[in-house]
Order: sequence, then structure tokens, then C-alpha cells
Amino acid sequence: MAEIILKAANISKIYGKHKVLDNVSIKIKRGMIYGLIGENGAGKSTFMRAVMGLIAIDGGDIELFGETSTKGLQHARRKMGQSIEMPALYPDLSARENLQVQAANGGVGEREIADLLRLMNLEHTGKKKTKHFSLGMRQRLAIASTLITNPEFLILDEPTNGLDPSGIVEMRDMIQRLVTERGITVLLSSHLLDELSQIATHYGILHEGKIINELSKEDLARVARQYIEVETTEVEKAVVVLDEMGIQDYEVINGIEIHIYERLDEAAAINRALVFENVRVSRIGTTRQKLEDYFLQLTGGTKNV
Amino acid sequence: MFNLLTAEKIKMRRSKKLWIALAILFILPIIQVINSQLTVHHGTELVQVIDTVINGATGILMMKKNGFTILLVLIVFISLFIGEEFQNGTIRNTLSLGRSRVHYYVSKFLAAAIFAFVGVLGMTVLGIASYTVVFGFGEVDGITNYIRYAIQSFSVLYLLILANVSIYVLISFLTKNSSISIVWSFLYTIATGFLPEIFQHTENFGHVTFWFTETFLFYFYFVSPADIAEIPRMIVVSIITIVLSSGLGILLFKRTDIK
Repeated sequence: MAEIILKAANISKIYGKHKVLDNVSIKIKRGMIYGLIGENGAGKSTFMRAVMGLIAIDGGDIELFGETSTKGLQHARRKMGQSIEMPALYPDLSARENLQVQAANGGVGEREIADLLRLMNLEHTGKKKTKHFSLGMRQRLAIASTLITNPEFLILDEPTNGLDPSGIVEMRDMIQRLVTERGITVLLSSHLLDELSQIATHYGILHEGKIINELSKEDLARVARQYIEVETTEVEKAVVVLDEMGIQDYEVINGIEIHIYERLDEAAAINRALVFENVRVSRIGTTRQKLEDYFLQLTGGTKNV
Repeated sequence: MFNLLTAEKIKMRRSKKLWIALAILFILPIIQVINSQLTVHHGTELVQVIDTVINGATGILMMKKNGFTILLVLIVFISLFIGEEFQNGTIRNTLSLGRSRVHYYVSKFLAAAIFAFVGVLGMTVLGIASYTVVFGFGEVDGITNYIRYAIQSFSVLYLLILANVSIYVLISFLTKNSSISIVWSFLYTIATGFLPEIFQHTENFGHVTFWFTETFLFYFYFVSPADIAEIPRMIVVSIITIVLSSGLGILLFKRTDIK
């Protein structure tokens, strides 16, 4: 059984009268890419800060690499790296100097700096100060900074925030590479389930400070399964035809829409059968449930997503 | 702790603010010696009680002569040096590595103390050298063992400055913002530096002012036997200030949530 890297049990955090984290429990095993999804203000960054020991928690327990004591947790955090919210860099220092500072903070040598700069495509930045970097470059440097201490567990808060589409793809590939090449376990957050679905192996949906659902990649694939979408004004007649064809896994969504979850490669045959029985089909085609729709369905809203 | 100090060294070496602050402290004695020379040139004699530094020997009192300027430079430097760590979020990089908050606080205090030491040492050396060149080394009235006096007065003046460094570090950690820290540190310095003059005329508050190091820094001349006799009290007040402010700072910082 894979080692448990992070075990958070009933974590609560209260700011004034507002409960930002409400009994959040999460287990992350070695090798996982755990995606924490939630709207802005759901408590993702607060949870990450609590794990990193940056804020005091009002309730619950944190276990990191099997350690639970204050000293043990402090020691365990040396095996971790974080980039929470915006990239935290020294604007007047170059990429190399930023990494030198973090290497000194971590008490590690500077041997890896050249490799990390190469890995993050920053080797040609020379003496350029990071305040003149693009957001993508700063995000990459922030991740390089977290890697300087050779972490086993990486916490990345919205690492694709503010990046353009090519930057998002680049960032995703890089995280994937870190996991496969270095065996790093990752906890990352996003408010876009669709985006996380392309990288994470496990998901936790955080809503108003509570974990409302946890899914594996397979669970999510099932949720986001493909179906044939039939649009017709004669739903009742269409259902009879589907029954006659022996199709059982379908769902009448509303007065004009049916979703068929089986025989996905037989859309043409289904269309032919419906037309043959004089059912007026205005549209038929294969489609996939949008993850964002699923997310909204779970959180029951549309705000800030 | 050593690792944190190494990180501070890298940051400070590349800091433009540090070099600007040091330049101000180093240029000041040069400007002052030119000013003194012009004063003498126009027929006014330098008086130790008013001018503080009148020759190379009294150059050891450069910290006393420039006390307020030194404090202003330190306020700005320390507020930026610590406040920006909170504002840039870089404090998270260090603390999330499991570094002790006590070590982090102490490393910042030590870095500020070393900066202050280099600044005032440079200023004093340049002050002694430049005043010696223009006015000769001379002597300090009533002082027979100059080396002992020089070491003693430099150490005590630095300790008085260090007590303020400790307060500014505390304010910076409390405010977590460089601009707000500059404002509060300035208000503290003005209040403790200029109010004693008023309070010393009152019976009840007169003695209270001696609990603030600015009273010694601004209102004592460090040459008369009466002033020199107060040195033990200056040391005690400075040490108490450093211990109390650092203790309070560490205690509050340990409870602070880092955003």
C-alpha cells in the first residue's frame, strides 16, 4: 500500500465569524496528483496554508509523512515545496539569485540551480531581474524555487492562473514531467475542473469550506462520460423507438432532449430508426458532459466559476 | 539559523536599498566636515556641546551627532527589508520549509543589526578621518584614556541605536507592510525623541523618559562626567528594550497567520 503523505483530519479555520474551513479531511498517497477544486473563496489557499504551517488551525489534525508533532511536522515540511497564490519571488534578483536564496533557506547546495533553470526554460535569462519576467516565467521560476530542496511533495495553488493557453499547456506538461521523472506527489488547486481533469489523478471538491465530494480519475471519467444527444419535439415517440431497439441506458433530460449512454457508435442507425418511425429529429450527435456543468451541479450555483 | 543568515547575505548584497542607505551614512560625515570648515572659515568657532564633533578625536561621537538621521535611515531600510518579505510573499518560501519562526525573526534582527553596525562604523571612521584631515586629531576635553573612552562611547552609542533597531524590527513584523511600518516607526521615534524635552519639565513624567533610549541619544553629550556616569543606565535600558521588544515580537510573530 502506498505511503500516506498527507492526512488532514477535520481541519477547521475560522476568521472572525466566518468558518473558512469546515472539518476538511483529505488523504493523499504517494504518487497521487490531487486536484483541489473550488470556487474563488472556497478555502483552497487557506487549506494549503494550513498544511504548510503558515496559518494556525482552529481544529483538526495534520499528519505529514507520518509525523504529527510540532517538531515532526516542521521536519516533514523540509520535504515539501509550495507555490501558493502568486509566485513569491524577489523582484530585484535574477532567476539564479532567487534560487540561490531558496537554496540557502533550505540549507542545500547550489549544484542543481543550472539544471532547474534548464528544466524550466529559464537558462537564458541571465541577469534579468524577475520583476521584468512575464507571468509564465515567474510561475516557472516559482516552481523551480520549490524544487531546489528536492521535495517529495509539492503544493501548487492555481499554478496556471493568469497564463495564456500555451502557458497552461506548458505548465501542465511540466507538472506531469515532475511526477513521472522525479516521483513527486502533488496537491494542486484550480477553480476549473475541466483544466484539472487533464492532469490530476484524484479530486476533492471544496465548497464553502467543506469537501463535498472526492473522486478518482475513473469516477470523473464516468461522470464525464460520452452520450448521444437527441433533440426532438416528440420525445414520447422517440422513447418507444429506443425501447424497441433494445436501448436501456438513456435519460430523458427535458421535453426536447434525450441522452443515450450506450451504442455510442450507432448514432446514424438510431437516427435512421427514429426517422423511419416518423419521429422528427432536429439534431443528433455524440457529445460529452461538461465537467464544469457537473461541478455546478454539485455546488449548486454559478457564482465565480 | 546560519542558513537563514546566508540567505539574508545574498539578498542584501544585491539590494539597491542597502547601498543607498550605506551611501547616505557614509557621505554624511564628509558633508558635515565641509560644513564645519565653512563655518570656521566664516569666523565662527566650533563648540563641542553644540557641534558635538569638532576634531578627529570627537569624531567618535558621529553617531551622537547624526542620531536622528541614522534612525531615519534605519526606519526606511528595516521597514522595506522586512515589510517586502510579507508583501512579496517570499516569507512563505522560508517558513513553509519548516524553518522556525524564532530563527526567522532573530535572523532578520541580526541582519538589521549588522547593517546598522557597518553603517555607523563606516560613518564614525570617515568622521574621525575627515575631521582629522581638516581640524587635526586634537583631544576630547577631560578624557585622559582616549582609547578606552572611544571604545566605550562607540559601544554605548551603538547599543542605543540597536535598541531602536529592535523596536523597528518589532514594528515591521507587526505591521507586515513597509509603508505602514515606516509611518509607525517614525511616529515612535518622534514621540520618544522629542517629547522627553517637554516631559522632563514635569515631575511625574521626567523619569519615565529615561526608559527610552532616544532620551540618551538626543539629550546627552557623552563628554561630561555626569553624562559618562549615566552609561550603566544607558546599557541597562538598551538591553531591556532589546529583550522586551524582541520577546514580544517573537511571541506575536509565532501567532501570526501568513497570508
